[in-house]
Amino acid sequence: MKVLLYGRLAEAIDHKLELDAPSCCSVAELRAQLVASHPATAEPLKRSRVLVGNVVADDGRILQPEDRVEFLPPVSGG
Amino acid sequence: MSVVARLEPGQLHPERELAAFAGQARGDGAIVSFVGLARPESASGGRVDTLVLEHHEVLTHRSLGEIAVACAERFDVSHVRVVHRCGTIPAGEAIVFAGTSSRHRRAAFDAADYLMDRLKTEAVFWKREVGADGANWIEATAADAADRERWG
Repeated sequence: MKVLLYGRLAEAIDHKLELDAPSCCSVAELRAQLVASHPATAEPLKRSRVLVGNVVADDGRILQPEDRVEFLPPVSGG
Repeated sequence: MSVVARLEPGQLHPERELAAFAGQARGDGAIVSFVGLARPESASGGRVDTLVLEHHEVLTHRSLGEIAVACAERFDVSHVRVVHRCGTIPAGEAIVFAGTSSRHRRAAFDAADYLMDRLKTEAVFWKREVGADGANWIEATAADAADRERWG
């Protein structure tokens, strides 16, 4: 599964992660997994919108191995 | 009526944008243009060398377009043009050009004001200043949010 990160999340973690799909199954669980592995980013991770394939996904969305998941922290504006 | 919303990864030339916009707005009685510049100083007074605007490959351009279209629908304007830079912007250079034109001045003023209030809070960018104090992420201020709220 591809995970894309932006803003301060990208700076703290990486712009792109490749994760093994079986290691998580819902958006909420993926978020919790990222918080556990990068505790300093807990606050922006919790405030992030999540997109799966360019569509907003809620925490209950079940992720598939081929999904492209994006975590978007609150935007700065222009 | 025309609505232009462009994401510019290179340098932004406000005078060229204004000239192009004025060419489109022939026949109107008013053109209002706004140019936003990268400030050389942070809110705490530190030197800023560059502003970095990270963008999303789909959502950023979409957000510019949605704001420009909403502006054109809300106000009695003939033309709307938004050009916004992304990437690394040296202090002092232009970040954004916003232009509106209308038959009479009031609509053009209000439309440009609305455009910038929405762009400052809703355009999909993640922004950081890089300079004497290192790199600092910037978020919209309470004043920016209050300006945005004026429009409902």
